[in-house]
Amino acid sequence: MVVYRPEPDRDSREWWERIARHEFAVQCCDACGTTRFPARAFCPACRTEAWHWQEVDPEGRVESWIVNHQPFMPGAREPYVVVMVRLAAVPGCVVYGNWHGRRPPEPGERVRASYSRIDESLSLVNWEPVDG
Amino acid sequence: MAKRLLDFRDATAIAGVGYTPFTRDSGVSTLTLACRAVLAALDDAGLTADDVDGLATHRVGDSAPPTLVGPALGLTDLSWHLDQFGGGSVSHAVVGQAALAVAAGLAETVVCYRAINARSEFRMGGTGRGVPASPEVQYQAPYGYVAPPQQYAMYARAHMLKYGTKAEHFGQLAVTQRANAAKNPRALMRTPITLDDYLASRWIAEPFRLLDCCLETDGACAVVVTTAERARSLHRPPVLISAAAWGGGTSHLSCEDPAVTAAAELAPRLYAQAGLGPGDVDVAEIYDCFTYSVIVQLEDYGFCAKGEGGPYVASGATALDGPLPVNTHGGFLSEGYVHGVNHIAEAVSQLRGDAGDRQVPGAEVALSTAQPGYILPATSALILRRA
Repeated sequence: MVVYRPEPDRDSREWWERIARHEFAVQCCDACGTTRFPARAFCPACRTEAWHWQEVDPEGRVESWIVNHQPFMPGAREPYVVVMVRLAAVPGCVVYGNWHGRRPPEPGERVRASYSRIDESLSLVNWEPVDG
Repeated sequence: MAKRLLDFRDATAIAGVGYTPFTRDSGVSTLTLACRAVLAALDDAGLTADDVDGLATHRVGDSAPPTLVGPALGLTDLSWHLDQFGGGSVSHAVVGQAALAVAAGLAETVVCYRAINARSEFRMGGTGRGVPASPEVQYQAPYGYVAPPQQYAMYARAHMLKYGTKAEHFGQLAVTQRANAAKNPRALMRTPITLDDYLASRWIAEPFRLLDCCLETDGACAVVVTTAERARSLHRPPVLISAAAWGGGTSHLSCEDPAVTAAAELAPRLYAQAGLGPGDVDVAEIYDCFTYSVIVQLEDYGFCAKGEGGPYVASGATALDGPLPVNTHGGFLSEGYVHGVNHIAEAVSQLRGDAGDRQVPGAEVALSTAQPGYILPATSALILRRA
């Protein structure tokens, strides 16, 4: 059960398809090798359009987090935590997900993806601490 | 270096400001609110609708565009108009573009307005209507990350972690602005609060409490932009537009440092355009969708060192009797939330000297700023000067 089901667009559809198989991939520029997320047509570093998917370790570091008390997501167990994670594989990029640790996040700590399977075509990427 | 085509500094002026009452349920359409604020601003300037040849607004699909407001006021031959998509980050860009249009001669008298039923009809974020349609939403909404207070709380904690900014700093800002609102008959929230009241207010999204968040307001506000020359012939003291600048910003998904805003990059261009610096600013109306928004902008506009915004506010520097009075009307936190335009209008009042009990004595230069580029990658700001 997911309240806000993501609506993939023509740039992002394949990313979500891979996530449904628990494959964490980002785009990699064919010309300069710069990785990027989310999926976009052009490399922002060199403006080349040619690219390929590159599987990367779904890891990052905790940059910030919030503890939600207001019912922003109907039906959510409150308070729920959303973390901002700086992806190790994509400098300059942050992603968001729910916190799957048994304790609160710590600033700068290493985290890895914790997939939540919703159904056969959708999984969500949440985050858990690397060090328990 | 591009050729300088237009001598913009002080070429245009704000000749009038107008408001509807701020409420939680206007009971009328945004079109009605817009018309009332436009006419009020014209009346303040000593002009009528027959003098208007331009209209401009910003909105996020929640309000009446110039193509509705014009005909509703019998203005069927506008020579310029602007319907700018965007939230508070473009609020000051709208007035900047109107000033450019006037300076270029495309129009002589432009009314910039924002009409909003942000409480009774269209609440911001995902709590009142569907989540907004942006391709970035798919990476956030499934995790229950949908609304501006959540997003700003996320950036605020990053600043707290990096610089040691504290809840008490946010709280002092809320207390100071409420004290200003107590002197503002327009303000929705006029009962003074203490730091203990702030700390006792309920959590919204930690680290934000209720009193970190702006009001959700129904209302409208408008300003009249015309040539400096024409403004001098009208009955209000003209307020010159000395500088208008635009800036970029971070996306939700890409940012190098969440504790710095696009204002840091915009500010030098803005000050250079005016030929002034932060030390020349007598009063600042700083976009305060949330307490943190003011603290980070005080740093990025150069009023204190990076990371020192919290202690700067806690020192009393931004109070009415401090060296840099900030949000003298009470801001969005306590006056009302009209998406940036009420900050510009308050700056005009301060420079005209008609701000009543909250007047900053002798104010000559004001800074007014937009949402600093966190949620939409854009920001804007104005420097205004007493003629």
